[in-house]
Amino acid sequence: MQLRCAASPKANKMQRLAPADASVLDDNWRRRRAPYVNATLIGSALMVFGIVGAQILSLGLTARPHLSLAVSEPVATSFSRPDIIDRNGRLLATDVEAPSLFADPAIVIDRDEVVEKLLTVLPDLNASELRAALSDKVRRFVWVRRGLSPAVAQRIHNLGLPGLAFRKELRRAYPGGALAGHVLGTVNVDNKGTSGIEKYIDDAIGVDPVNSATLSTQAPVRLSLDIGVQHALEDELDTAVRRYSSQGAAGLVLDIKTGEIVASASLPRIDPARAPNLSDSSTTDKISGGTYELGSVFKTLTVAMALDAGFAKPSSIYDVREPLVAGRHTIRDAHGIGRPLTMSEIFTHSSNVGAGMLALQAGPDRTRAFLKKLGLLDVMKTEAGAVPAPQLPSRWERAELITVSYGHGIAVAPLQFAAAAASILNGGVSVKPTLLKYQPGTNARASRLVTRETSAGVASMMRLNVMESDGTGKRADVPGFRVGGKTGTAELAEGGRYNKSAVLSSFLGAFPMDDPQYLTFILLFEPKGSEETNGQRTASTNAAPVTARVIGRIAGQLGVVPVSTVATQ
Amino acid sequence: MRLTNIAAFCFAVASAFLLYSLNYETRRLEAQIQAQERESQKAKSDIAVLKAERSHLSRPERIDPLARSQGMMPPRADQLVPDNVAASAKPDAAPLRRLAESE
Repeated sequence: MQLRCAASPKANKMQRLAPADASVLDDNWRRRRAPYVNATLIGSALMVFGIVGAQILSLGLTARPHLSLAVSEPVATSFSRPDIIDRNGRLLATDVEAPSLFADPAIVIDRDEVVEKLLTVLPDLNASELRAALSDKVRRFVWVRRGLSPAVAQRIHNLGLPGLAFRKELRRAYPGGALAGHVLGTVNVDNKGTSGIEKYIDDAIGVDPVNSATLSTQAPVRLSLDIGVQHALEDELDTAVRRYSSQGAAGLVLDIKTGEIVASASLPRIDPARAPNLSDSSTTDKISGGTYELGSVFKTLTVAMALDAGFAKPSSIYDVREPLVAGRHTIRDAHGIGRPLTMSEIFTHSSNVGAGMLALQAGPDRTRAFLKKLGLLDVMKTEAGAVPAPQLPSRWERAELITVSYGHGIAVAPLQFAAAAASILNGGVSVKPTLLKYQPGTNARASRLVTRETSAGVASMMRLNVMESDGTGKRADVPGFRVGGKTGTAELAEGGRYNKSAVLSSFLGAFPMDDPQYLTFILLFEPKGSEETNGQRTASTNAAPVTARVIGRIAGQLGVVPVSTVATQ
Repeated sequence: MRLTNIAAFCFAVASAFLLYSLNYETRRLEAQIQAQERESQKAKSDIAVLKAERSHLSRPERIDPLARSQGMMPPRADQLVPDNVAASAKPDAAPLRRLAESE
């Protein structure tokens, strides 16, 4: 433009002045205006950023009810647990998803309405506690009830109450109901084991903490229990409690070669799905949760000691006609035969005097050493925890030696006693009771406790006690299964004194006695005499026939073949 | 030069299109994976519940009275024979004969 204009300088001079002046003016104006423009631009940018910043700040500071759960709220962690199965793979415990109900007090509109309507579906809800929790508007998360059934959750959902919502959580389910409840134990509301095998799983196997309903990928825990045997045992104990009007009952089936607990029951039962009532002592596990003076079943150990020490044979004769005197006490037999007895007869007639004589002959050191060897003086442990420590005499003198020989003055847990008896009957090697299925090769630490001859001798005396017409255990016989056993009737100790009206009647059984494989131990607490027992409440009239019924039902399941059938084929 | 520009422009457009389609495809696949994972989770949960229900239905406490009502009972000693005897025993021909006669 300027190049073209240069062709006529005159005109150009005229023309050029005006635009040049204008441009100078323009530049000046621009120069003057520039700071204002810049300031305005920067100001508006700052303002925009300021508004955004203020908005962020206000959003951060003020809580909006419609925003989802605040991050700082403690969201409960629960645990996913492996399944528990019996020795044959049948399910005893598993995790299932269950809805859990929670409330957000900040968006609950009418808390009284919420509480009232919830009570129509959950009548056992603690209304005042929930009302108090819902009043606290600062809290954003309040558990109302965890582990609901889908049907109940649907009914609550149908109430249409704002501020209530569900979370899926894992919940322990026990398909067998109360079956083997004492063995399985319990879990708490976070699905963490609190007792029994459930606690063992937490301690030894491990559970996975989860924030949602994620099922465990761990291999199931295989127990030594057999559901079929367990049911038969519990069923027969139920019948026994009714038939003999007992206050309780307990039973154990033990594989004496491997130490596996095939069944263990204690009545009254506990339901693993419900929290146990700790103040109720009647629901204690009577097999491994309490110690008792077991009475004459202890004579099994006394004769084993005599045989093993070699100072007596089954045919050795003892004069049991005179009572034994120990300080202020006189020990005599309730039903004396009136003639000297062989050791075998001492066992089958359950002579207290005879057992006392055997213990006196052995002496305190040998008796203590023998009981120590059998593990009866120490605390025993199983997977389900420690068994209560045995209560032992404070000194071992004549009176204590005599009473211990027939199972008084010494209180042990039935499981601990059964383990000692199993170690004698299985050929004489130590055996440790276990609730887990036996893996071959894991019982390597077994040591010999008594000789094979002792073991066979005790087994044959137990068999005689059931076979002979005057044996105390004759009602325990099951044709074909070669049952052997020993009765025990002990007065129950209450507050340091014996209660003559309450007895603990028990039967230690084993089968098949030609090569003992299984041990049974049945205990009836405070049975009453009935017409069937001729008013008697001794073990020979109640615990022995219960043993027969139990063995009749379980022997086939355990694969024990009856010998009479073999003989007739 | 112009051709190069056009080619570059086309390439850019094609790349953008490809990128976007890949992005969308990835998102679609992610959503699909999530849906399948949810489905698998649901199936696992259902299996757990069904397993528990099956065990509940087959619990001995329930089966025992049902079996007894059908005339069954725990085996007696004379009903059991050892394996070697059972293996060599001749089968009872009577039921087969009855079956043959009925036909």
